[in-house]
Amino acid sequence: MENQKGSNDGKIDGLESRGREVMVANQRTTGTCESLLRILALALTLAAAIVLGVNKQSKVVPIKLVEGLPPLNVSVPAKWHYLSAFVYFVVVNAVASAYAAVSLVLSLANRGGKSSSSSSRLVVIFLDVIMVSLLFSSIGAAGAIGLMGREGNKHVQWKKVCNTFGKFCGQAAVAVILSLLGSIAFVFLVMLSARSLHKKITK
Amino acid sequence: MASTDPEYGTKPQPNPPTAGENKWKYLKVPLSSLDAGLRVLLFAACVTSVVVMVTSKQTIHQGPVSKEAKFNHSPALIYFVAALSVAGLYSIITTLASISIIMKPAFSSKFILHFAFWDVLIFGVVASATGTAGAVGYVGLKGNKHVPWQKVCNVFDKYCRHIAGSLAVSLFASVVLVLLIWLSAFTLHKKIPK
Repeated sequence: MENQKGSNDGKIDGLESRGREVMVANQRTTGTCESLLRILALALTLAAAIVLGVNKQSKVVPIKLVEGLPPLNVSVPAKWHYLSAFVYFVVVNAVASAYAAVSLVLSLANRGGKSSSSSSRLVVIFLDVIMVSLLFSSIGAAGAIGLMGREGNKHVQWKKVCNTFGKFCGQAAVAVILSLLGSIAFVFLVMLSARSLHKKITK
Repeated sequence: MASTDPEYGTKPQPNPPTAGENKWKYLKVPLSSLDAGLRVLLFAACVTSVVVMVTSKQTIHQGPVSKEAKFNHSPALIYFVAALSVAGLYSIITTLASISIIMKPAFSSKFILHFAFWDVLIFGVVASATGTAGAVGYVGLKGNKHVPWQKVCNVFDKYCRHIAGSLAVSLFASVVLVLLIWLSAFTLHKKIPK
């Protein structure tokens, strides 16, 4: 009986150590995945903030002041900070990229060590979810204003402006798409953290 | 002994648990009922938001002409209504799933993981809908002097009040979704064996 128990213990020990190896390997791949996603999120949100932040276009528009006189040529600028939705978008993307940079440094510093514990992961999930909320709401805001500029709204007589400022609108659309990809990276980060918490239960 | 049975680990232990497990067992029940309660709250918030937005119709008579403002005049508000309806439907389904966890806690950690995944997705949809409607509502409230977009809220006051109320409720719904995601993460964290 004792002999059998001893051999059983040995088998369980072997299984456990193999399981631990697998778990360590899993943690390492999860860590690499997380770092890659954070780099991606950093690059994409920073690019979105910059693309919209440098967005500016001037156009010479003929304006008829008085009937009968030749139209007056006036240069009309379009800048990103004319629309409050775009200001919100740029600020949120700058904040998200700064957060991605800080969390990337922290996750690289914590790598491998025991400090990548579940409670620090909990804090990271909290902050990642907040970033997801800010990014998605800013994408919604900038997208709605961009669509309004593109299509106009005949019910309230808001005229479209994208037929005049084509480059401005194109750049805004690129910024929204970049930010959307960056926020999807943040969504994946939350899912990855949740999965690694779940893995620790069933190890 | 029976404890070497490999399938036994996934099922709840019928034998008397140790002191540590006992503590978690008492904590688990309030957390999952909190989850179900928050989901019911989310459902109520989504339904309220959609109803307030859909009933925002206002007609104004200016002499012979009458002007009408409805939510489906703006694609942003249509998206808002669609997104909040989807979230309301989702909250019904997950409330049932959450109640099933309370009834039968055997697979709760797997369920909670899936809750976290789907909650994040629905949360993205609700947050973007709130941002969309908020941006359009802000332009309607303040107007924009650079682009010739005039404000409409001085004319359609009841319409704008409805939109603002609906936005506030949807903001509350997104806060509830954040709490749900945090709760799922916290529950998973609690279940990690020491």
